[in-house]
Amino acid sequence: MILEKGMITNLQRLSLHDGNGIRTVIFLKGCNMRCLWCHNPETFSQKVQIERIDQKCISCGACVEVCGSGALSMYNGKVHYNAKSCTQNGDCIPVCYSGAMHQVGEMHTSESLYKAIEKDVPFFKFSDGGVTFSGGEPLLQHQFLMEVIQYFKSKDLNIAVESNFNVSWNIISKFLPYVDHWLVDLKFINAEKHKKWTFTDNQKVLSNITLLDNQKVSYELRTPLIPTANNIKEELVAINDFVNQLSNCKQFKLNPYHKLGEQKYKNLGLEYNLAHINEMSHSEFQYWSSLIKK
Amino acid sequence: MEMKEYYLQKIENLKRAKALQTKEKIRKEGLLDEDDYGRIAVPDKGWEIIPNHSDGSFYGIQGWTDNFCDLMDNHPTYIDGNDAFAGRWIYFMSKMRPNKWNPSYPFTHLIANQEKYDIIHGIGDDAHFAPDFELGLQLGWGGLLKKIETSAAINQGEEQEVFYQAHKRAIVSIQGWIKRHIDELALMIQKEEDPLSRENLLKMRETNRAILHHPPKTLRQACQWIIWFHLASRTYNRDGAGGQIDTLLQPYFENDIKNGIIDKEEAIYYLSCFLINDPIYWQLGGPDGNGGDVSSEISFLILEAADKINTSLNITVRVHDHMNQELFDRSLDYLIKHKNAWPRFSGDKGLISGFMKNGYSEELARKRIAVGCNWMSLPGLEYTMNDLVKVNMAKVFEVAFEEIMATSEVKSTAELWGKFTAHLAKAVTTAADGIKHHLKYQKYNEPELILNLLSYGPLEKGRDVSDGGAMYYNLSIDGAGIAIVADSFAAIEQRIEEEKRLSWEDLQSHLNSNFEDENGERIRTLLQNSERYGQGDTKGDKWASLIAEHFSALVKNESDAEQNHCFIPGLFSWANTVGLGKKVKATPNGRKGGEPINHGANPTPGFVVDGGSLALASAIAKVQPGYGNTAPMQWELDPSLAKEEHAEIIGAIIKTHFELGGTLINVNIMDKEQVLAAHENPDLYPDLVVRITGFTAYFAMLSKEFRQLVVDRILEN
Repeated sequence: MILEKGMITNLQRLSLHDGNGIRTVIFLKGCNMRCLWCHNPETFSQKVQIERIDQKCISCGACVEVCGSGALSMYNGKVHYNAKSCTQNGDCIPVCYSGAMHQVGEMHTSESLYKAIEKDVPFFKFSDGGVTFSGGEPLLQHQFLMEVIQYFKSKDLNIAVESNFNVSWNIISKFLPYVDHWLVDLKFINAEKHKKWTFTDNQKVLSNITLLDNQKVSYELRTPLIPTANNIKEELVAINDFVNQLSNCKQFKLNPYHKLGEQKYKNLGLEYNLAHINEMSHSEFQYWSSLIKK
Repeated sequence: MEMKEYYLQKIENLKRAKALQTKEKIRKEGLLDEDDYGRIAVPDKGWEIIPNHSDGSFYGIQGWTDNFCDLMDNHPTYIDGNDAFAGRWIYFMSKMRPNKWNPSYPFTHLIANQEKYDIIHGIGDDAHFAPDFELGLQLGWGGLLKKIETSAAINQGEEQEVFYQAHKRAIVSIQGWIKRHIDELALMIQKEEDPLSRENLLKMRETNRAILHHPPKTLRQACQWIIWFHLASRTYNRDGAGGQIDTLLQPYFENDIKNGIIDKEEAIYYLSCFLINDPIYWQLGGPDGNGGDVSSEISFLILEAADKINTSLNITVRVHDHMNQELFDRSLDYLIKHKNAWPRFSGDKGLISGFMKNGYSEELARKRIAVGCNWMSLPGLEYTMNDLVKVNMAKVFEVAFEEIMATSEVKSTAELWGKFTAHLAKAVTTAADGIKHHLKYQKYNEPELILNLLSYGPLEKGRDVSDGGAMYYNLSIDGAGIAIVADSFAAIEQRIEEEKRLSWEDLQSHLNSNFEDENGERIRTLLQNSERYGQGDTKGDKWASLIAEHFSALVKNESDAEQNHCFIPGLFSWANTVGLGKKVKATPNGRKGGEPINHGANPTPGFVVDGGSLALASAIAKVQPGYGNTAPMQWELDPSLAKEEHAEIIGAIIKTHFELGGTLINVNIMDKEQVLAAHENPDLYPDLVVRITGFTAYFAMLSKEFRQLVVDRILEN
């Protein structure tokens, strides 16, 4: 058996919004969409990246001394980082004792991943919890993911997969026997808008959701509610109509837009294009949620 | 359960009165980093102690009896027409002494090591074991007097005569205090015009008359009897131990219901008044020995009463395999609903299997229940010194580190471990020797005049509970600062030995300068970011387990079957994290000199980025001392998790911690914004309750320094 390796960005313990019970979420790196509101920009690229967490910096300047590309510089007693000049060689990471220069992305095997989450396994028992694979788009690393899931199933873990479903049905279908619950994003019905806000088509997504529904497996749909993008009555009605013609969707809900990922864009030297959009109020969110009731 | 407006109004009035009393107490007595205790403020020109020693203090059985009886004889009465019960306590008699240890019994031979290792020695400390209220409820004051008479006839001798006479005088003075309330009630009844209020006062008088000599027969009488005992005991020396509240009161409740004396609403009203009287430590639910749970209908009514008053409460729900799931669910509902740090939870599996390792039976182990701040006790059966004796392991580490730097040419963590364990052994022996010294002389210092009454043995044998009167001597020594030591070892191993990023000498130099020298802050962050205890399978976790194991073995090693001394280890710092930290210079885990040590068995704040609750529950379960005493999990639960829809998840974390061997969980759910605002203006948040460690306190009653500690803990989470 060839041991597959996969690229992981993060393990999130005690996640409350990614499946039933106490769940540990494993974030796989790499995504085939570029949703403008995404709060996990570190999962866009499948490659290792450097992020700079300014709040942790103690301005000792050690990173500046080893930086060969000029991306790091000292100005007015503070370290400045120009991500565009960074060659990502990582020389700054071991000299940064405060952890401000940080590597995003780590290779794992199924065994090393299990070892990393093993301490959470006892907590799953009393809450019917388990492991959720998320991303990025976890199915982009499908060979690795299949090996991990099969290994985790051999340990009797409950498995959920969070996917954008913008992958071939052939890949999804291979996972059906092993996944206990699917969490799928349904972002837009309107193809044009989907393209505009995610830079991908939604035809495959909608078709895969319908195919999944026919399999009578456990799944839920979530729509990220993004101000100016899909908080439009016609769009939500269309989404709701689509959901209503499905037979086996366990749950459908809206997830409110938030800006918790904005800092991560800065840390990675990326531009956050929705900086001008505010989070919506609770009452506004309640209003939009009321539109999706059957 | 919907209650009649009449009862609800009375409970509201009691809550208001308590808020005012707390405010008054702060105004008169200043801030206090302790439990609320239900005590009310000392009146102007109040009672003063009667010294019997040239140092201005009082010692020995005569001194304590004279003082207690005089205080009881002069103690003001307290009757609130809204209450079902009479009485409140006012004077902290044991704290009113200028000196707590009789200078005739010096322990100079221990002082050098006590100071060297910063040991809280507990010599001369009192209470911290549990009375058996069932004994009192069966006998009543009259029965206890009779027991004294019978025992005195068997155990004759000069010392015994003094002993029995003292206990008799104590009871008579308590009865006198009760009698004055009965007289006061007669006057109030005469003046009361409202028929319902008059009826309540009449019932209160009738209740007190009934129990003045005889054992209680009804729920109201049983509650009032317990109140009088603990008010007297609190006054004597702050004892706050409770018992298994539901089984204690169950027969009275069921009998009253059967005989139509009360209905459930009235029972909840009584229980509300009972709980607001004093935040005593009570256990709720627990194994019955037959594969079930001891809880009954009154267990639920107790929770309902707690819900109604929602002040500072110390109710512990016992979690076990065959627990009453509905009771557990209800307790979670209230924890989430009020976010007021009650109830807390104890883990049966770890406690029972641990206690049995001392050679005790399972049946006895089941009787050892949560009745104190961090501690368990066998009501009426043991003398323990629970939570009184602490070894500051961070200080022990400092001694070992300084020694290795001064004397060893080749330095290594193995060498440092050798020195640390050698000093820890000396520290533990010093602590144990302190306890032995205390046991030898405490009867000449401060006899347990009140707790003796509800213990099995002291009256029967004519000996104080500290002096061979008790059946068992399960003596507690707690280790404090485990995370500081574990993280320090881990940082040295990782940064000096493995990565060679700095030398031992560099480290020493940075520690000596408190990380304020050149490059100091950078090195401090390097050390802080080492593999810490609590992160799971790290170097810090490995060292923490090793330290806990070793500490337990050292404490157990002090046991002496011939002397009936069973020493039991725990990991707990109580509210001493600030004080113990002040004694320790900068440490290799990046902690600056004088900063607080870690709380109990908790990892140092900020040990993980997310999933702190699971990491905490896993880590603390792995360092359990393992012999029936606790290493509590102090859980600062994020309000975003503390929601109704997540109750099952909170319950699962609690159950898993106990399944893994955990023993006690103290929970705080505090909104960050609110706690910051309360820190700024404590007066605006008089009802805000925080679980400091095992005990709860009004946030507004804490000193600024202590409030800051709580705020930091919550913000770090």
